[in-house]
Amino acid sequence: MRISEHPALGATPAGKAVTFFWRGQPVQGREGEPVGAALLALGVRTLRYSSSGAPRGLYCGIGHCFECRVTIDGVPGLRACLTPLRAGMAVEPEGSPEQEAAAHGG
Amino acid sequence: MGPVIICRCEEITDEEIAAAVAEGAASPREVRLRTRAGMGVCGGRTCRHAVARLLAEAGLPEAPGPRWRPPVRPVLLGDLSRRPDGGEGPCA
Repeated sequence: MRISEHPALGATPAGKAVTFFWRGQPVQGREGEPVGAALLALGVRTLRYSSSGAPRGLYCGIGHCFECRVTIDGVPGLRACLTPLRAGMAVEPEGSPEQEAAAHGG
Repeated sequence: MGPVIICRCEEITDEEIAAAVAEGAASPREVRLRTRAGMGVCGGRTCRHAVARLLAEAGLPEAPGPRWRPPVRPVLLGDLSRRPDGGEGPCA
């Protein structure tokens, strides 16, 4: 689901449909929208795993809390809520439940 | 309801902070050093007010919170090192 008409901000500029990659799979998004918004529109809410292996994703949505950090084109720690989507971006979650549990003793 | 996560980055609960206070932590800085609450990726942005509130509720006098250290906003080192003309390496 995408917001196309916001009650205060007005109409969302229509971005060009582009292909990007989530976990290695090609998916569609709109150029320029936040990576986190593109993933949310695809139904993806888990963006990474915490040190206890818990699933985490968008929280504040304004670049403040760092819960939404993902790896994009090999660069880790980028905030999905602030990073504009570009065609061809390869977005990966950080960690996995098993990885986090093993590294931090659960 | 169970323990409440106060510091989301380091997953520190209110119970862990209370334990640190029981061991003698009397300021946000001491809580941070003992539990890591406030030392996570977000730089304490999310939990600093909650930690201060917990200390106040424990009856502790207000103490200066963690200082804002540069860079105040998160910046990639590559962005800091890039020259104004866009090149890499030291400025002439």
